[in-house]
Amino acid sequence: MGKKDANVRMSLQTLRVLEAFMENPTLQLAGAEVHQRCGIASGTLYPILLRLESAGWFVSQWESIDPSSAGRPRRRLYRLTSTGLRRASEVFASFNRGVLA
Amino acid sequence: MSQRNERSMQWEIDGVSHWLIHHAARRAPECLSSRLEEEWLADLECRSTALSRLGLALGCCWATVVIVNEYSRAQVPAASPLVAAKGCITLADRNFGYFSLRSGTLFLILGLHVSLFCGLVTTLSPTRGLAAEPKLSNQVLHSVPVEMTVLPGK
Repeated sequence: MGKKDANVRMSLQTLRVLEAFMENPTLQLAGAEVHQRCGIASGTLYPILLRLESAGWFVSQWESIDPSSAGRPRRRLYRLTSTGLRRASEVFASFNRGVLA
Repeated sequence: MSQRNERSMQWEIDGVSHWLIHHAARRAPECLSSRLEEEWLADLECRSTALSRLGLALGCCWATVVIVNEYSRAQVPAASPLVAAKGCITLADRNFGYFSLRSGTLFLILGLHVSLFCGLVTTLSPTRGLAAEPKLSNQVLHSVPVEMTVLPGK
């Protein structure tokens, strides 16, 4: 959808999504879990997830379960990449500098 | 009886939610369509109440609009000049100039309301005036017919 490692438009909702992943960078979260943590509506959340994935900040993969045995469909799990972690840390650091300055 | 009604209502709302997600996913770009449908249906199962599931489905419809808009923008530079020109036309149709898609939609809805209000005011006011106006017009009678009746015996 976009260029890899491109500059992502930083909105408040994007920062909240990144914050949810930054609490534990190795954690894999589905869209529903991100919604529970951030409270962002689905109409805003899914475009942000796709935008960050296409920019190379996130990678996503299907949950490794058998839907018939689990009794529910498999979810799409998102995880921060090393690039995303570095860029997100830079963004939050720049915001902190701006607030403290 | 009331529990049965609530269950049937929840069942109907869930049906609408599933239909909305199928519809939204079909409108998404082809390479993302099946993935988004499966992802959204899986997230739909995580919602506890029927109304929250409906909210998720409505949000997915809006998400599709945003995704299609961003996807078409991203596709234009990578295409050939001829396709890019066609893509620019498509993009120009969806572009609202200085406004974002959401602001453009808001202005469109506001404009429709204002035009509807103006239309109602302009169409109802002459009707009301005609109904209230009394028909008081003088008429001059040129010849007054006088009928002389002669009573018998006089």
